Amino acid sequence: MTPAWAIILLGALAVSVWGLWGHLRRTLARPWRPELSRAAGSPGRGVIYAFTWGMAPWAKESTRLHLLAYLRGVVFHVGIAAGLAGLALIPWRAAVPAAGEGAIAVAAAAGAVAGWGGLLVRVTEHNLRAVSTPDDLFSVALVSAFLSAGAGAWWGPRWTAPYLALGALTLVAIPLTKIRHCFYFFFSRYFFGLFYGRRGVVGGVQHE
Amino acid sequence: MSETVRTETINTALGALERVLDRRLVAALEVCARCGICAEACHVYASDPRPEHVPAARAERVRAVYRRQHDPLGKLFPWLVGAKDLTEPDLDALAEPAFASCTLCRRCTINCPFGVDTALIMRAARAMLTATDRAPEMLVMLADAAIARGEHAEEFREIYREIVAGLEHEAQERLGDPTLRIPLDQQGAEILYVGLSGAHTILPAAIIFHEANASWTLSMFEASNYGLFLGDPARAKAIARRIVDEAVRLGVKEVVLTECGHAYAALRWEAPNWFGGEFPFKVRSIVEVLADYVRDGRLALDPTANPEPVTYHDSCNLARNGGLIEAPRIVLRAAVQNFVEMNPHGKENFCCGGGGGLVAIPEWFETRMRAGRKKAEQIRAAGAPVVATSCENCNLQLTDLNGYYDLNVQVVGLMELVVNALLKARRRHAVPLPEAA
Repeated sequence: MTPAWAIILLGALAVSVWGLWGHLRRTLARPWRPELSRAAGSPGRGVIYAFTWGMAPWAKESTRLHLLAYLRGVVFHVGIAAGLAGLALIPWRAAVPAAGEGAIAVAAAAGAVAGWGGLLVRVTEHNLRAVSTPDDLFSVALVSAFLSAGAGAWWGPRWTAPYLALGALTLVAIPLTKIRHCFYFFFSRYFFGLFYGRRGVVGGVQHE
Repeated sequence: MSETVRTETINTALGALERVLDRRLVAALEVCARCGICAEACHVYASDPRPEHVPAARAERVRAVYRRQHDPLGKLFPWLVGAKDLTEPDLDALAEPAFASCTLCRRCTINCPFGVDTALIMRAARAMLTATDRAPEMLVMLADAAIARGEHAEEFREIYREIVAGLEHEAQERLGDPTLRIPLDQQGAEILYVGLSGAHTILPAAIIFHEANASWTLSMFEASNYGLFLGDPARAKAIARRIVDEAVRLGVKEVVLTECGHAYAALRWEAPNWFGGEFPFKVRSIVEVLADYVRDGRLALDPTANPEPVTYHDSCNLARNGGLIEAPRIVLRAAVQNFVEMNPHGKENFCCGGGGGLVAIPEWFETRMRAGRKKAEQIRAAGAPVVATSCENCNLQLTDLNGYYDLNVQVVGLMELVVNALLKARRRHAVPLPEAA
């Protein structure tokens, strides 16, 4: 990787972190209104549930019914993790063993397939088309393109420049577009666990 | 309408949104990826599968306004992120999704990979509509009438005392026991029981408390809280205050609410937030009390009094949003001979379609009947001729669905089944053995 690419990527990362920091600041500036009622269950166990078993496909009717969509989402997000890990590792690519290169390439490729597939469903399925904004289409397309390039780059060096360019663009897009749901996911699941754990609905604590 | 007035209305609506915009709501507004997996979780969509009935689409109306106000791209390129300036026609159009299509049941929330609290968003929409006088008139009228009753309690006291004396006589006759009392204003009683308007929530409770030898007193007020439906904490607090003040004045250990889902949600879970802390008394549903009585053997029940198969409809406010899933089943297993589960049930149960105040709004009768189609199918599939529930709103809606979809079932409250079982057990014990044989 050339110094120019390193500067571009570090700049993009700085924009991303700065943008997410802004989101964090704005969110924390909002009032925190904890529930003051007597707890019937355990809020802590509810939060643990929300981030563990509560994410399992059998925990929700929606994922039991739409297992394929669930798996597509899992593969897409594992691919994103691999794509971003690959971006961080690329300066030290020579030190990455062949098996590692292959794993990143396969995960990114699978993620790309899941991403493009998801985009296809989004434009063809009438409900999804109705709720989608241009940002939804742009964000999924951008990340899918990033993963496609990532798979190519970790397969052979020819795709490295597009991978780095799309990686920089994705990093910048994280706080600006709907990709930032990856950040708000932690808030939302935390509040979910707190709410339902406190009320004794999830987390394995019986209502008193 | 002049530009100034229009702006004031919009400002009022946006102001209402800002007031409720806390961290939980920000997370709910920001996190949705519009994956659409919530669609079939919603009873309205399941009954009438149109894109506008997808919970994410419903919430998108509020998100669009939020993004225009708070999202940097929403301010610069609103078309890109689906941001939109709020207009009066938008506000008018928000009433249907906020008050009629969403019953705040949170079935979409438990089915969402992110746990998006769409009910919280729709409650914000209700707050915006109430602040701009766009809430259903009936809900406003009922809320204000409840507040007025609290403000003029002394004027009602003697009339109410006479009504209760009549009910006491009726309960004595039904039980065959002239010692039964319906205490009112009983200082030092352990339980303050809060019913609803109408004898049907007071008579069975009086019989049950008498048989359990409970120390109780009847509230002057009704449990329902229409302020909650309006998304208006000020009204909701004023309604709840009547009961809170009464409970404190009488020094009771606990307030027991009748079979009413939203009353439980309001006083058990929400009211401490409005008042800034826990109350000096417990708040429970009569369902929990009944389960305790059954567990402790304080009620002699004969399940043969209810011989037909009984299925149970979980109220969203009691079960999914209140955790009361096992308690009603403890009661049913003791009070009926053949209890059949609905599928799905418990926290996954479908809303009946009458929640969120919808059952009180006559102009949306057809809407709620359509929304109840999924519940009607569930009832039919359960195959039980008796449908029990522990919520007045659900009871009314299920009764209407029964007629609308020709279900040919009997809809009853849990307390009624308990009283049947209790009366039969009492008669059996009272009758000499040879005659009974």
